[in-house]
Amino acid sequence: MVETKTPTLRLEGVSKSFGDFAAVSDLSLTVRPGTIYGLLGPNGAGKSTTIRMIVNIIAPDAGRVELYGQRMSERLMDRIGYLPEERGLYKKMRVGEQLRFFAELKGLDARTADERAARWLERLKLSEWKLKKTEELSKGMQQKVQFVATVMHEPDLLILDEIFSGLDPVNADLMMEVLLELKSAGHTIILSTHQMEQAERLCDDICLINKSRKVLEGGLREVKSSFGRRAVALRADSADGVLDDRALVASVKPFGDYSEVLLAEGADAQELLRRLVGRGASVTRFESVEPSLHDIFIQKVSEG
Amino acid sequence: MRKFLVIVRREYLARVRTKAFLIMTLLLPLFIVGMAVAPALLTRKLGGATRLAVVDETGKLYAPFAAALAETRDEDEEDGSGAPAAQLPARGMPDANDEGQMRKLGEAMGQRFEIEPVQARGRAPDQIRNDLDARVRGKQLDAYVVLPADLLSAGGKAEYRARNLSDVITTSQVRGALRRAVVEERMREANIDPLRVRELSREIQMDALPPGGAGKDAGGSFQLAVGVGLFTYMIILLYGQMLLSSVVEEKTTRISEVLFSSVKPFQLMAGKLVGVSLAGLTQLAIWLAALLALTTFGVAALAARGVSSTMPHVPAVFFVFAVLYFFVGFFMYGTLYVLVGSMVTSEREGGQMAMPVIFLSVVSIYLAFPVIRSPNSPLAFWVSVAPFFSPVTMLVRVVTETPPLWQIALSLAVGVATITFLTWVAARIYRVGMLMYGKAASIPEVLRWLRRA
Repeated sequence: MVETKTPTLRLEGVSKSFGDFAAVSDLSLTVRPGTIYGLLGPNGAGKSTTIRMIVNIIAPDAGRVELYGQRMSERLMDRIGYLPEERGLYKKMRVGEQLRFFAELKGLDARTADERAARWLERLKLSEWKLKKTEELSKGMQQKVQFVATVMHEPDLLILDEIFSGLDPVNADLMMEVLLELKSAGHTIILSTHQMEQAERLCDDICLINKSRKVLEGGLREVKSSFGRRAVALRADSADGVLDDRALVASVKPFGDYSEVLLAEGADAQELLRRLVGRGASVTRFESVEPSLHDIFIQKVSEG
Repeated sequence: MRKFLVIVRREYLARVRTKAFLIMTLLLPLFIVGMAVAPALLTRKLGGATRLAVVDETGKLYAPFAAALAETRDEDEEDGSGAPAAQLPARGMPDANDEGQMRKLGEAMGQRFEIEPVQARGRAPDQIRNDLDARVRGKQLDAYVVLPADLLSAGGKAEYRARNLSDVITTSQVRGALRRAVVEERMREANIDPLRVRELSREIQMDALPPGGAGKDAGGSFQLAVGVGLFTYMIILLYGQMLLSSVVEEKTTRISEVLFSSVKPFQLMAGKLVGVSLAGLTQLAIWLAALLALTTFGVAALAARGVSSTMPHVPAVFFVFAVLYFFVGFFMYGTLYVLVGSMVTSEREGGQMAMPVIFLSVVSIYLAFPVIRSPNSPLAFWVSVAPFFSPVTMLVRVVTETPPLWQIALSLAVGVATITFLTWVAARIYRVGMLMYGKAASIPEVLRWLRRA
């Protein structure tokens, strides 16, 4: 049912280069309405360029960007909320005036803008800062203000570039809560990040880009389960002989009081357990785990 | 259009609501008036009269010399309201020009002399000098003059000894008074009546007037023309710099990126130009209103008290042109500043890159001077039509000798055409430049953006 709806955003064969440098090559992706979409990739992979093409700041050299099945246009810009990676607020302006200005640029009238600003500042615990100049705020607070500026006009599509960088754990949790609320209210969100932990907790679908190209796309579940190898969280004494067998174990990563054992291609977790027990190792933890997004990210990026 | 207005309003309020705007509005006129008055105040002689002893070896010169010095004082007390015939100074005499000017300067500066004759009382000349030197060093005396016996005939040389020889005004006043005393004494010896000579070499009076019946001296119009030129230049420079730093701010903080996701780059650029120009116009309007009040009510108030002032007549049409040329000048230079701002990565870099723009506006101030001297010369015509120079030079022409309307229309048309072209160029560079981070754009790079856009 979901698949038949018009996708919120569709990129088709989009490319962009600056001089000789290819920033984005032949990128296609589809964002379903009402989902959180993770645009992942290392620094310089082409995430920001992709986003800039989506929000119509720069034009692609080739390919199509479609929002709700229509070519990106000025009118559609008001239905997008964009939070760039580098935070941009006028230092000398008061928080309340600033929010009103950005909302008016998205077509809101002053009164609605003020009402919504008040509500959002309340929600993000910034109410007492409304009359302060932006330069008096801490970096984390400025980031929350900018987030308010991005969502105030209630855009159908929110594009958030590195939203969690610079937020302390308390605020990062608050932000995650807010994002999930927005999602359940029907907003579509594109998150660009290289913080895999948050992406893993929030995203429905992901797209991994490396060196200007898409290397992976799909639902988070499918990506994880289709990912060839599985891992085992293992705590065992005198297991060394078994773990050295490259036919069985690809790599071992120690984590505090246990190790994460990545199984070799085609190896079976049960086989590992049998071998360990056969060797007389004392196993106190043996848990089959899915590879984390982090592992997938590292592996995919180092393959490229 | 709505979004454009939102940007205009923000830019306008962001300039006008600052303390800097208020301070600038009040301070710049004070500063300019101060610049005119300060030198006179600062060079005014402080303290009491200059105490001067005179050793008169001729036995004839002390009285006329004392009188000549006192004459300076008398005139000073009458506050320079023209020289009465009864005490004609040596102004009419040959080669007296520099000295006359120095004397006038001294008068304006409140110079006073307290002079005393020195009696020999049986002392040898050297002894007298030693005594006087001691008194000068001991600060009982500021200076003394020795007038040798052969000063009146040829060859004699007077001597002026003072603690402070850097006070050239006092020195020159002493020399002037002595000169007048000696010349008049020589006349008397040649049986010429010095009073008769004074009468005959009386200074003449001349009014400087525009043609036509209404006779009023327009002596102040030079100052007005220079003032108008300077104000226009300052305001363009000031607001151009504001524009530059505001563009750089949006670029370095990446605000532009947020804004570009809401409005088109051209809307943002145009909104910024218009908003800042209106802030500048507000300031200009305040200054012009002050000038208008001064020239009408101020002069009338002074006239009512019987004080005639030299306030120049300002043609009403001037105010219209002042506003028109402010816009032309502002947009001409403003687009250049926006262009520079979008190419650089920091305000400091912007300051360096803006040097050619500032240079261009400084040149227009220099050109204003020959234009004031001969407002109808071919040079004046060409520079007041040329882009970048016309705002200052044409305004100066309007004040000095209003040129034919077609010249003003031509200059405005050239201005508008230049602005249109520059806006076209700036919009293209701005759109690309605002999203380029890391390094300042080079000229070939910018040209490439222009071609591609």
